[in-house]
Amino acid sequence: MYTYDRKGPKRGVALYSYSAEFGLTKTLEDCFEDVHDMGAHGIEILANTHIENYPYPTDAWVENWFRLCDKYEVVPVEYGHWIDSHVLGGRELTTEESIEMLCRDLRLAHRLGFTVLRTKMPVINAALEPVENWREIIKGALPLAEKLGLKMCPEIHTPSNLNGKMVREYVEFIEETGTKNFGLNIDFSVFRSKFGEGEWKDPAFTPNVPEDIVPLLPYVYCCHAKFIHMSDDFEETTIPYPEIVKLLQENGWDGYLLSEYEGADKYDPGYEVGQTLRKQHIMLKNLIGD
Amino acid sequence: MEREVIQSVGFRNTVENGEVTGFQFKIRLPYYRGVFLSQLRPGTLIVDGEIFTKEQITWCFGGEEYALDEMAVDFKTHWNPTVPAVLKVKKPGGLAQGWHDLTYGFCFTSSYMPPALQDTLDPDKESFVFMPEFGHHVNQRRMLIV
Repeated sequence: MYTYDRKGPKRGVALYSYSAEFGLTKTLEDCFEDVHDMGAHGIEILANTHIENYPYPTDAWVENWFRLCDKYEVVPVEYGHWIDSHVLGGRELTTEESIEMLCRDLRLAHRLGFTVLRTKMPVINAALEPVENWREIIKGALPLAEKLGLKMCPEIHTPSNLNGKMVREYVEFIEETGTKNFGLNIDFSVFRSKFGEGEWKDPAFTPNVPEDIVPLLPYVYCCHAKFIHMSDDFEETTIPYPEIVKLLQENGWDGYLLSEYEGADKYDPGYEVGQTLRKQHIMLKNLIGD
Repeated sequence: MEREVIQSVGFRNTVENGEVTGFQFKIRLPYYRGVFLSQLRPGTLIVDGEIFTKEQITWCFGGEEYALDEMAVDFKTHWNPTVPAVLKVKKPGGLAQGWHDLTYGFCFTSSYMPPALQDTLDPDKESFVFMPEFGHHVNQRRMLIV
């Protein structure tokens, strides 16, 4: 199996970015090749999107998965999945049912060679606060995660703030349990400090400064390298990337920056998100120096 | 798979024991991730003005037919966004040769969206705000029966 030994921040791509093209004009192999073209070595998939016959892929599909990883020199980094506790309209899943769903994903992530999971919690309100029994659900899956060497990471995404209640509660959970199998994925949307004329800004959102990530780094196992506007000279104009990457390097952080493009224009007919990703990877490559 | 939600391939009359008993068409999931069947909220089909309620439409995944009440409690069967679902409708004699205008509404829930937004989902009406990655609820297409 392909391995990439570079230390420090490394480049990767979240295949979510290809949402508008995947299954229509791009196959999974097309996405892998595009990532390879960029010289990136990490990948994030969405289990419910990119795994054929999820949650029960065939052995042949899994074999092909590893063939793609080897051929395109890609490391399975982050496995995106959901704890879908609201999946039934009439009632919530019980804690046990949610644990069962979560463990099924842990086993599948491990089978595909992943080490980190972006574990999306079911939410209870517009502030995106997780369900009240999230601690019990995670605790129920910790023994299996430990056995399989996996880290479950909720994503911290705008309008959440790195200094806010949600992050504080996750950190308290990590410190109380002492677990190495639960952590954070920081989405760089939290650092977005510039909004253009007429662009919607969530009134609940206060941007973080790059330094805010430093105390969290021991618990950060992956980052979403969110980008909004890449200029034609390959700069992100809304998120202070040079400062963020420099801080990650200075603090010895080792992990993947997974590019994730959420712009709705990717659904425009003819839009090729790969070209937008390449713009960002020119910037990241220059900042990281790989 | 075609970009349109209602696929042109798969639209035909269906025959049982030599008799035309209805018609079928395929739809793709206009969402960036798959859903479990219990997340689906099927709505109404209108063909040339004729209304077919959700109870008259049978969804098929992987060759298996699912009744509405089965789908509502099935959170283990998954609909992958790269594979269209087949919708079968009973109509003795099927649809006539020529053009047909189809309008079909369906939507789905998401555990990571605020519950207040989920409670008001209506498959036959568009959401308050259109988000491309959730697609339209109501889709239309004009297609031919041979």
